[in-house]
Formats: sequence, C-alpha cells, structure tokens
Amino acid sequence: MADLAQLQHLLRRTEFVAKQPRIDALIGGTLDAAVDDILNVTTPVALPAYIDHNIDNMGYEQFVYAVQWWMDLMVDSAKPMQERMTFFWHGHFTSAWNKVGDTRSMMTQNKLLRDNAFGNFLDLTQKVAKDPAMLIYLDNKDNVKGSPNENFGRELLELFALGVGNYTEADIAAAAKAWTGHGIDTSSSSPTYGLYKYTDSRHDKTNKTFFGTTKNWDGPDIINEILRDNGEKKYIAARYVINRIWEHFAFPGTPATVLDALWENFASTWDIKALMRALLLRPEFYSPAAMQRQVRSPVEWIATVMYQTGRRSAEVHPEYYLDAMGQEPYNPPNVAGWKHNAYWINTSTMGERGDFAKDIANRLRTPDTYAFISAKTGANWNTSVDQAIDTIVNLFGIGPLSAQTHAAMVGYLNAERGPGGDRWWQITNLLTMGLLAPEMHVA
Amino acid sequence: MIDQDISAADARALLTLHDETPSEVSRRRFLQMVGWGVGGGAVLGTVGNALPNDWFGSMREAHAAPLGANEGVLILVCLDGGNDGLNTVVPFTKPQYAQYRSNIAIPEAQLLKINGELGLNPNLTYLKTLWDQNEVAVVQGVGYDKHSQSHFDSMAFWMFGRSGSFSNSFMPSSGWVGRWLDGFGAESEQFKAVSVGSGLPLTLVGEGRRGLAVSPYGIDYGGSTSAPNMRMYNAIKQFSSTSARRGIWHDTVALAEKSQIDTAQTVSPIFKTTVPSGELVRQMVVAARLINADLGLRVIDTRIGALDNHSNQPTDHNRQMKQFSDALAAFYTNISPAFRNRVTIMTWSEFGRTPWSNSSLGTDHGTTNPHFVIGGNVKGGVYGTHPSMLKTNGQPLGTNDRMVSSLDFRQMYATVIDGVLGGGAGAVLGGNFDKFDLIRTNSTPSTFGSTGSAGSQFVGIVPARLIDTRDAGGAPLGAGQSISLPVAGYGGVGAGASAAVLNVTAVGGTAGSYLTVWPAGVTRPNTSSLNIAGLDVVPNLVISKLGTDGRVDIFNFAGDVHVVVDVVGFFQNTPASRFNGLSPARVLDTRVGTGAPVAPVLGGSSIDVQVAGVGGVAGDADSVVLNVTVTGPTTDGFITVWPAGAAMPTASNLNFVPGQTVPNLVIAKLGAGGRVSMYNSQGASHLVADVLGYFSPNTGAKLIPIAPARLIDTRVDLGRLPVDQTPLPVKVLDRGGVPATGVSAVVLNVTATDGTANGYVTVFPNGEAAPLASNLNITAGSTRANLVIAKVGADSSVALFNSNGTVHLIADVVGYFTE
Repeated sequence: MADLAQLQHLLRRTEFVAKQPRIDALIGGTLDAAVDDILNVTTPVALPAYIDHNIDNMGYEQFVYAVQWWMDLMVDSAKPMQERMTFFWHGHFTSAWNKVGDTRSMMTQNKLLRDNAFGNFLDLTQKVAKDPAMLIYLDNKDNVKGSPNENFGRELLELFALGVGNYTEADIAAAAKAWTGHGIDTSSSSPTYGLYKYTDSRHDKTNKTFFGTTKNWDGPDIINEILRDNGEKKYIAARYVINRIWEHFAFPGTPATVLDALWENFASTWDIKALMRALLLRPEFYSPAAMQRQVRSPVEWIATVMYQTGRRSAEVHPEYYLDAMGQEPYNPPNVAGWKHNAYWINTSTMGERGDFAKDIANRLRTPDTYAFISAKTGANWNTSVDQAIDTIVNLFGIGPLSAQTHAAMVGYLNAERGPGGDRWWQITNLLTMGLLAPEMHVA
Repeated sequence: MIDQDISAADARALLTLHDETPSEVSRRRFLQMVGWGVGGGAVLGTVGNALPNDWFGSMREAHAAPLGANEGVLILVCLDGGNDGLNTVVPFTKPQYAQYRSNIAIPEAQLLKINGELGLNPNLTYLKTLWDQNEVAVVQGVGYDKHSQSHFDSMAFWMFGRSGSFSNSFMPSSGWVGRWLDGFGAESEQFKAVSVGSGLPLTLVGEGRRGLAVSPYGIDYGGSTSAPNMRMYNAIKQFSSTSARRGIWHDTVALAEKSQIDTAQTVSPIFKTTVPSGELVRQMVVAARLINADLGLRVIDTRIGALDNHSNQPTDHNRQMKQFSDALAAFYTNISPAFRNRVTIMTWSEFGRTPWSNSSLGTDHGTTNPHFVIGGNVKGGVYGTHPSMLKTNGQPLGTNDRMVSSLDFRQMYATVIDGVLGGGAGAVLGGNFDKFDLIRTNSTPSTFGSTGSAGSQFVGIVPARLIDTRDAGGAPLGAGQSISLPVAGYGGVGAGASAAVLNVTAVGGTAGSYLTVWPAGVTRPNTSSLNIAGLDVVPNLVISKLGTDGRVDIFNFAGDVHVVVDVVGFFQNTPASRFNGLSPARVLDTRVGTGAPVAPVLGGSSIDVQVAGVGGVAGDADSVVLNVTVTGPTTDGFITVWPAGAAMPTASNLNFVPGQTVPNLVIAKLGAGGRVSMYNSQGASHLVADVLGYFSPNTGAKLIPIAPARLIDTRVDLGRLPVDQTPLPVKVLDRGGVPATGVSAVVLNVTATDGTANGYVTVFPNGEAAPLASNLNITAGSTRANLVIAKVGADSSVALFNSNGTVHLIADVVGYFTE
C-alpha cells in the first residue's frame, strides 16, 4: 500500500494538486500502481475550434483563449500529468507566441507536444525539428544553402539534446548546414501554406564533418547521430534529458545514482513513459530533499488555487496574473525556457500572487461560495479560531501547517476578533492568508 | 519574424515583461480587476517638497538604504515611437528645414532660440527655463550605424545597449540598466531601479537581477493602510518569524512575502496625495516622490507614448512636447531641494524621423535625433554637430533619404553610467565608448562588480558540515563528474548569502586530480580549488560566490574521490562585518609557548587561543583569518577550529600525516572572550597560527566575490619556465573580473606543482620585501594549494616568492576586497 505522504507528494508533482478523489482511488494500491495510473494517459485532447486556425486581427484574443483553455484543462483533466508533461516539453522544446505570431502554428505545436508527451524522445525530437512554430521560432525557415542560420542547430545541441560543452562550434556549423532547406511553405496559394516544406534547391549537399564523421549529412541524420548512432553522444543526451526532467519534477541537481540507474534504458529505447515510471519510483524522489521542497511555478500555483477554490479561467483571468508573475504559457522568456524555485520569488511576483489571492478571496465572499466552502469542508468555520483555521486548511489542502503559519493565523484572528477589530474582514483575510501561506506556494 | 511594420506600441509590448495590454479596453479591464482604477485626479499646483518622515516610519530602513552623499539619480524618459527631433530642436538657419517640411515646419519667430542656429519647439517652455539656468545639454546627431527602421529592432537595440541584430536570430535577454543592476548582487533586489509603469521594460532586466515596477496609479496588495489589512499584513509577515524547518524554499517564500509588504508599504505613502494626471506628468511626479522618499533609488524609467506621428503631426507633436515640458515642470516642482541637483534626466527614442514630411502632415521612420541630458549636475550647452540635411555630394536629400548619425547612443549611456551611476560603463555596454564631458560632479563610485557580484559583508558561524559523500547513501565523485551543493539556507548560512567560505576536503582520491568549486549556473571555469595527489586527505579553504538557487558546483577532474564540505562563514549584502588586513603576526606557536604552553596538543584534546586584542586584531573583531600550520604530528589526524565556548562541530580544517608540515587558511568566528578553540583528533601535534586579518562590524573592506578566473599558470604562461627565488609579480587589477581601482586586497587560490625541492611559497604586496611567513608548504614533486588573501602592491600586482628550488605556480582569483 502506498504511504499517504508519498502519494500526496507524487500527486502534487504530477497532477498539480493531491486531489482527495485521486487519493481515495489510489491509497489502497501500491506506489507502482499509483504511478501507472497517473501515467496511464490514453485520451487524446482535441484543440478547440476557435484556436485551431488563424483569425485575422484576432491573434491576441485567440492567445487569451488558448491560455484560458490550457489552464482550465490543467485543472479539470482526469489525468493532469498529461498537461504537466506537455508543459515540461513546452519549456524544453521552446517556441514563443510573441515571435511566432501565429495561432495555428503555436497550437499545432502544443498538440504535437501533448500527443507525444509520453512517446518516444527520438521521434519527438525529429517531429519538433520540422514543426512550423519551431521552424519560425529558431529561424530554420531562413536556414538556406550558402547562408546558413545556426539558430536551430545550436539550440538542438545546446538545449534540446546535449548541453553545453558536448560539441564544438564546428559541429554546430555542420548541423546548421545539414538542416538547410528544411523550411516552411510560404506560398499563400498553396494548400500546405505555413506548413513544413523541404526545398531541395536550398539544401546544402556538400560534405560536412559532424562529430568526426564527414559525409553529406541531412538534418534528420544529425538527430539520429546524437540519439541513435553515436554511443557516446547517446549516453550524454540521455543523462542530459533525464537531468532536465528530474530538475523539473524533483529538485535541482540530479543525484548521480538516479542518472546511473536510468540512462541506459532511456538511451536504448527513448521511451518517455518508461523513463517517467522509473523516475517517479526512485527512492530519491521521496527523499527529504524532494518532499515539500519545490516552489510552485505561477502556472502550478494558479492551477492549484483554481482547483481548490472551484474557479475557472473565464472568471479569474489567469492570463493577466501569469504574465505579471513571469510565466505566460506559450511565451517562454527565451529559448532556454523557465527556471525553478528562486526564479519565481521576488517582491514584484509575490505582490502579483497577493493580488490574485485577494481577488479570489473577494470572489469567495458570495452566498454561493459559502455553500461551496461548506460542501467542501463540512464545517461551519466561523466559530472558534481553531475551527476557522481548520476550515482554511481543509479548503486549500495545506495541512499540516507549519508552527509559524499556524501562529500567524491564530494571531490574526485573535487581533481581528479582539478590541478594535472588524470581524467582517476575518473571512476574506483568512482566505487570503491561506492562499498566500508558504504551504500553498511550495509543493 | 518580427514584422518590420510593427507598431511602436506592439514593439514595446514585446520588449516588456508584463502588461502593456494591447488595447485600451483590456487595459482598463485589467486595472479594474486588480483594483487600481484608472486615475483621473486633479492636477495640483504644488505638492510640496519631501514627504513627511512619519509616513515612512521605520519601514524604510527595513529594505532600503538612503542615497549616499554624492550618489546620483538617473531618470530615463523614453520618447516612445520615434520622436521628430527636427521639430524638437529646430535648425532654423538651414534652408532645407523649411524646404523639406513645408507643411509642418515651425516658423522661426515661434521658436525658443538657444543659439544662433537652433531653437526649441515653442511648447518646450520649461525646458527653455532650465536651458537658461545652464542645466540642459542638447546632444545632436545621436543614433547608431546601419540604423534600423523597425520600431522593434531599434527599441530592442537601445534597450539592450549592445551590438546585435534582433529580429532574426537573436532576441536580447537583458537591458543596459539591468546589467548595471547585475553588478550589485542581491542588494539591487530592492530599490535601485524602478519603472514607473505596470510592466518592466527590457531596459531594467538584467541577466540575474531586475528592477521593480511601480504603477503610477498606486499599489494594491501590500500597500493598503486600512486597519484590517494592516492586521493581515502583520500576520503574513509572521510567516517568516523563524525558520519553519521545511527547507529553504518555504522560508524564502515567507521572507519574500514580508519583503513585498515592506516594499509596498514603503512606496504606497507617495500615493497618499493625489497624483496629477497626464501620462508623463503623472510618472514624473511619482518619480519625484520616490526620490524624495530617499529609498536609495538610482534609476527611474518613464515614457511618453505615441510619438509615431505619421500624420497630423503638428497637433499631436505639439501636444506631446507640451506634456514633456509640463512633466519637467511638475518634476522640478515636486523634487526636494535635497535631491534636486543630484538628479539627471535623459531622453531617448528608438529613432528620429524623415527630414521630408509626407503629404499627411506627418513624418516617417528616420534615424538620428537630438537628445536632452537635463539636471543641476549637467553642464548646459550643445554637444555634437547637427546632422547634414544634404547628400554627401551637396545635393538635397530625396524624400526617401535619411540623415546620418555622428554619435553612438551608447556614448550617452557611458556618460551617465560613469557620471551619474558611479561606474561600470565598460562592463555594462561590452566596450568603451567616448563619453561627453557634460556631468559637473561624478557620482561616488559604486560597488559595481564587473562580473555581476555584490559588495559583501561577512558573517562567521560555527562550522557545519554540508556534505560528506562517505555518509550512508553517498558515493564518491567520479572522473569528470560534478555535484551541485545547496549552501544558502543550510548549516546556518543565510538564505540571502552571496558567497560562502567553505573548507573543502578531498578524501581517498584514486588518481592525481583536482576539484573546482564555482558558482552554480555559470560555465565551469578553468581554475582549481584543491589538488589531489599523493595524500589521502587534502583540505583547502575555498571562498566561492553562490550561484543559481544559492548553490556551488564541485567538479572532480580524474579518478574517484570523496568530498567533505564544511561551511565556516558566509557573505551577505546587508550590514555585517568587514575585512581588515594585517601584516602577518604569530598568535600561537606551541613549540615556543606563544599563545599557549610549550607542549604539543594531544589527541582528543583542545586548546583555547586568545585572538581578539592580539597581533593587531581589534577588540571588536568577530571573526579572524588565520593561517594554521600543524608541524611534527605523530599520527594521521585532523585539526578543527571553532568559536570558543560553543560545542565542537563535526568539521575539520586541516588534515595531516605523520611528520608532515601542513598549513591551511582558516576563517573562524571568535567565541567567548575573543578566543577560538583548536582540537587535535589524534597523536601529538604542534600548532602554529599566524593571523592575517580580522572581520569587524565597525570598520574594514567589503568582499566582492567573483566567479574564479585564472591569472597565471607558469606551466603555460611566461614561456613555461618554473619559478626560482626571484619574486614573480602577478598583475591582479583590471583582470579576471577585478576592477582597475578601488581594490585593497585580492583573494587567490595559489597552487604549487612540480617543485624540485622542499620549501614554501609566500604571497605579498609587489615591491615590498618578502616577509618571513609562508602561505603554502611544498614538498618536492607534490602539488599543493592554499587560499591566500594578499594586499595589492606596486604595478597593480602581488608577488609570489618561492623559497627553494624551482616550482610551477598557478594563481586563480576568487574575489577582492574594496578599499
């Protein structure tokens, strides 16, 4: 049987929130069974019609819709790990709406990342290389014979597959030449307008030397060399990608024991689901260094708040706050994607979290939401100080509170209920404090 | 893929971290949602000078230091969209002006003339007043080579402040003010740079640090002063009353929430009286109030929009010029006399406009522009020459022709970075640009560190073990492997630490190798911290800047080796203790009875050594720097140094084998009575300690930790000759991240290898006689390293002296102390 604390930790890291129905469903089985259930994602997600094509002069509205749609999906999906993994790949194989400027391409990429989120990494990398949004974002559409653009070739080696220090500038130049001619169809009358197109006349067919082998490399050969044919690079790539995944789901600095245990199978199969299964069952994933030791990113925190308060995007407009907190979905800050932990904590972004919490707390002060709170917590919470705090803890799933948070809430309620206080405010402010408690920001 | 015809507003939105929502409707909706409301307050004639002190109470000290006595403040005014310089500063004697612009030229009679050739736009009345007071520099012909006509490209270029081509393969990731902030480390988290607006422009975004955004409409969460909200804020601040013992991030979040409330409470009083309306007027009044609050602000970013006057220019541009002039008037009405002359205002704009007007009474995207540098510390006058309005062959410009810049905009940046912001232009701009002589008194030099580090103060702690890879579950570090070690927030190290003093010990190395310790998140430097060869246990003191998430990375070159890391102190950017260097003085020698009775220290026992008040160490010292040497040990063992009176920690400073003389640098907090305790684990050993300096809360220099950089390696430099008994000068200033001036001492890791004889190495100020002291003991054929703190001598150099035979020497710099 899975240990409750381990199961809650597993769910927080894979499904944003340790939802009570999920705990109930999984607590009777083993941890292996829980991981299998979490990763058992079979339902394809269709793009909403409004954002599967370009609408003239409505790009911003489509972007807002796309953010709201994705945030709601993260909250409501029966298997939220599908969205967490898709978001991970979005931060790995980055493309930004700001530069791509094209709804159809961005959403096609989003679907590609989702459909392949637990597929084969070699296959995914090949598909991403020919994805229109990527071809635009890293300029491979402009990478042509005689005038190579190294942007994609460089990031393929540096960020997508190998990491700094595992190639030379000459290897980048060779990779860029190999990828010449792989662009997009720019003929507006063509039925494949805006889609991937290989143009033979733009492809450099000369011999290039890549990782010591001189031949007429084509773009996809480059990826096959790194991930399939070159044993040394395969080893580096597997460990590099595992490290990126581990740092996203567990904690910074992947233990060598984890890399040693996982790389070989990953490098020989590139099976992402198998990797995730093994990774989520590693004892290090449940070590004290991991549990409750990660800052929820803005997307994760807002998805958690939306679930715990029953609010959805059309009402609370996460797009405004995510932007202000520095994590606009579809708009990673640069090709390296988002970082972790300290990256999300500064006075400006904490102020934005405060604004969002306060807005939500105000929205909870309506008769129907009192009913929501009562139904969810089963408590008449406006009684004793302890009952009120218990209600907040149950409502937001933030128990057990640290002694510091608990003392702060007790102190607040006593002050508001004491001489000179204003009892009306205690509900709104205690709700705000619950949403802003460190227990809510840390997963 | 950025559209060349992108609008100025969209370009700015792309270059802004958040908000600047694209339409007025959604913007209003946004403001309503977050409770800011759209301001429409009445324009006040005079708000007065400095705000009452009691509005700030004790809040201010919590997170902001007042401006230093001569520190300048820079206000940037972006004339957003491409200002028409020709109708701002009009060259009325040039016949082409009226000829090219027949439908929008300003008649000479209306101009506010500043000399025989130039006149200001008639709406710039307050600017003219300042000109008459000799407080306005007009810098003409500003732009850059191969000027882009894209709003986005050109705005990105101006914000970035470095060379690059943006629309295609490269998006800038930082702005010039942001990189200036990077030079300060954590202290810039607070109030060094503020954008008055709802987003943070790229200008204020650094690679590691960023400015703050303050809405000109006020602050919502954290800024209210209603009693229930204050009760809640006070409670939320208690989240961080003490560590929750749930890991670093729980505590860091809680601290950030407290800091945010303190910041909001600090800023919100400036909104107590209505801020006058008007886009730039409002921003400049907020700017004045922020400066009056004396929060330590150095840069304020403002903007006036929609100068992209393709049509209907006379009406619109005149209104915008009036707004600019009114904003200057509002600023100088509101700024306190205490700060007035320390503020310098500088305009910028992505480009000028075409010399020919179009048929829609407008102008199109151009190139060069005049800009203003304004303030009581500015030498008024005209700088640079007006760009030619003719072709090089003397023929008139065509309607599609544009003027040519004669000055690079980064010359303006360099002028204000060094003159107003206290230095760092070369590092910020990635090169040297000729400056204009238009600042009267240069700002006090800042503690800017060219590699993005902070002026740091020291906190000594009881040593604590951070990692021992021999522990259960641990594994030795293999060849080519690194580990990433969290330091900030662990073992008594503050969560906001910028650098740490670590005693790193390598145990059981299976091959000749070295360890490199460096800040996490940057590329591993080609330096070494510790050499592994010939000895089973090798310790060395390491001072390392902390990198991403407060971590250091540790790399092992070859073989397998266990690593033990003890932390003995850390550096932070808030007041703590500063370093005072001493001529080396012996405070302990058990062989002769200095500082302790004549007797070896026996295994399992310890001695207390008085350090405060001895050998030049001041009575207020709270930590000391010692070079501790063990001599004549009878067995294997280790020495631990810790504050007297505290429980002995699990940590070691120095490891030895029978008969060997081994030194190590030790930084130790002083315990009861200004003493340290020294413990010997086994056998009987004599101990010798030389004090090299001490840390005091009241006097001394700040350490600037930097990423390690190699200064010399005689195996590859200097024609590969080993060092004999001639002192080897090594230039340490203006290299490897150490600035050219303002440095009192450098922190080096010195390694000796391939020595031909037993002896020692001494590091001392170049030009002085080598003192009788040793930093590093050499045995023939071995490789040894030790941390050294050395005063800088003649020719910006330190000298390395080898006592016997020849030896190869390697020196890496890891930090420096400011004067």
